[in-house]
Amino acid sequence: MGRRSDSPGLVDAPRLPAAGVLAALLAVAATTLVIYPLRDVAPPVSAGVIYLVAVLLVSTYWGLGPGLLTGLASTFTFNFFHIPPTGGVSIADSSNLVALGVFLVTAAIASRVADIARTRAAEAERRRGEADLAADTARVLLGGATLADALPAAGQLIGAALGLRGAELILDPAQDDDRPGAALDLGGGRQARLVLGAGADDPTLARVSERVVPALEALLRAALERDELQAAVVETQALRRSDVIKTALLRAVSHDLRTPLTSIITAGHAVRSPALTGDERDELGLVVVEEAQRLAALVDKLLDLSKLQAGEAQPRRDWCSVEEVVRTAAAEVAGDDAAGFVLSFDRDLPLVQADAAQLERVFVNVLENARRFSGGHPVKVRARVVGGKMSIRVIDRGPGMSLAHLSRVFEPFYREGAGDAHAGSGLGLAIVRGFVEANGGRVRAESLPGQGTVMAIELSLAEQPSQTTSLERT
Amino acid sequence: MSAARARVLVCDDELQILRGLKIVLRDAGFDVVAAQSAREALDAAALHPPEAAIIDLVLPDGDGVDVCRQLRSWSQMPIIVLSAIGDEDVKIAALEAGADDYVTKPFSPRELIARLNAVLRRVSSTTDEPTIRVDGLEIDLAARVVRRDGDDVHLTPTEYDLLRILARNRGRLLTHRALLTEVWGPQYADDTQALRTHIANLRRKIEPGGEPRYIRTDARVGYRFVG
Repeated sequence: MGRRSDSPGLVDAPRLPAAGVLAALLAVAATTLVIYPLRDVAPPVSAGVIYLVAVLLVSTYWGLGPGLLTGLASTFTFNFFHIPPTGGVSIADSSNLVALGVFLVTAAIASRVADIARTRAAEAERRRGEADLAADTARVLLGGATLADALPAAGQLIGAALGLRGAELILDPAQDDDRPGAALDLGGGRQARLVLGAGADDPTLARVSERVVPALEALLRAALERDELQAAVVETQALRRSDVIKTALLRAVSHDLRTPLTSIITAGHAVRSPALTGDERDELGLVVVEEAQRLAALVDKLLDLSKLQAGEAQPRRDWCSVEEVVRTAAAEVAGDDAAGFVLSFDRDLPLVQADAAQLERVFVNVLENARRFSGGHPVKVRARVVGGKMSIRVIDRGPGMSLAHLSRVFEPFYREGAGDAHAGSGLGLAIVRGFVEANGGRVRAESLPGQGTVMAIELSLAEQPSQTTSLERT
Repeated sequence: MSAARARVLVCDDELQILRGLKIVLRDAGFDVVAAQSAREALDAAALHPPEAAIIDLVLPDGDGVDVCRQLRSWSQMPIIVLSAIGDEDVKIAALEAGADDYVTKPFSPRELIARLNAVLRRVSSTTDEPTIRVDGLEIDLAARVVRRDGDDVHLTPTEYDLLRILARNRGRLLTHRALLTEVWGPQYADDTQALRTHIANLRRKIEPGGEPRYIRTDARVGYRFVG
């Protein structure tokens, strides 16, 4: 893994012929320098053998051409410096011809053997590079969250491995993309393209389409498949969740719509009774009106909730007074029962930035809920600023709730004790949370069984409108 | 129905429903005793046993199914449950706890009164009548003979047992499980497939024109014998 950037391995470093010629001449010169002092102690032929070392070295490292050159140069130099008459060249001597032949054959064999070894080593290195690249690409492509997220990193990886400035992997490329690169077929009509940056020559392109593309295609197919599976899982979960909500909705509708409908239908039949007193007639008329209102309120709630769940409850936030909103909501809920709520507001409460209509729905629902559970005791509402936030606490003296219920009361259709006829629709608190959170606030329930329940709503206080602005407005 | 006005206990926590029902039932010839909770209902029933009871399944202090069970523990009075929940399981639980029938809210008061009269007829007729006669159908329980318009109808023993149980519980909705347990035994309580097959055969033999007239189907819950 660590060798990714420092040793590409997929392309050969070109060998320069000039360097080979230079190496050949230098080797011959160096050998001559080494053996020249020995010309008096060693017989010329044995000294000549030393040139073989130069021929071997040069042909091994620089190949046949420089090797042969070294052989030729060695023959001439040896002849010139060591074969009497020194200082001149004569190849007439058969031993000279033998030496020349030996040098040349040595050069040919050594360079060939070295070439084969070098080619094999290079091939092994390339294979290793390819394997490393495949492993790294797999890690990047399959390790990321989604294929789209992983593509840029995978492109860079491939570019680095090819020794290019950069490479780019494009899913579903444009038809007219004619930058150098390779097309990838991902099956199922999906296409991708590996675009290679500057410096991609034809051999590199050929190598890429032969060695890189097949593995890359397989990896991209696997990644696409994984993406699809993930999407399917997410979709299944969402469907299951919405199924649960639908079932709960059906139950809620079943109970909460049918009950007032039954009252209205029964009252409708009863009002036709020939033996009806005036009081009874009034009573039945009231039943119809009240139950119809109850249905209307439920329809409102269902609409609120469906808006919230569809994410369509965009608040129109403006400066509004919590006191005004709470008083309006309390008046709506209390009806004729003016003593039902005890409201207290700190003096000089700041304004909040919120959708006043949505806040009103919040408090209508919270107050209705509190009154339902307060067992006839007045419900207290207290609004003040705590820790830089607007805090509104709605306190009932009802039976309270256990911890298990507290954590779930804001779920749609959740009712404490399914058989409890006081439990309401189970929609109210879900609406409360939805609207409070849409307006950047928070709501939580605090309760101990037997000690009543507190619904604590917290709204953030933005910078207050300046005095001048509010003066201009009035 | 006897000449005296029958007393009916009505238990529903919805005052608004009680208000209308009182008047409708009064017009149909019943005296209504109203209760708004399970405890009120049980107390009222113990104090002046009514001829029949109408019990809502959702009550503030308990479960209508429990009220059925407790009433049934000491009384054979017909019980009709009011169900607001479209949930078959709850209806079946109530029927197995002793309810005779159910109506689903929003119900038509006329339908409720028809059901009420049907179950009341059952009570007045089950006192070991040797022969049950409904329109053209005659079931001679002593001789184990069934006649339609005077002609003998040949029934298998299973079909006869089914018909006998349904007819003896005239007006009452019998769950699949109750019928299966009664005719085949408790180990066959879930074999609704067999039940449907036998009911179909029985109907073919006794229903004139193939139209279900005596045996009515309540999908997913059970069968009732009407007439």
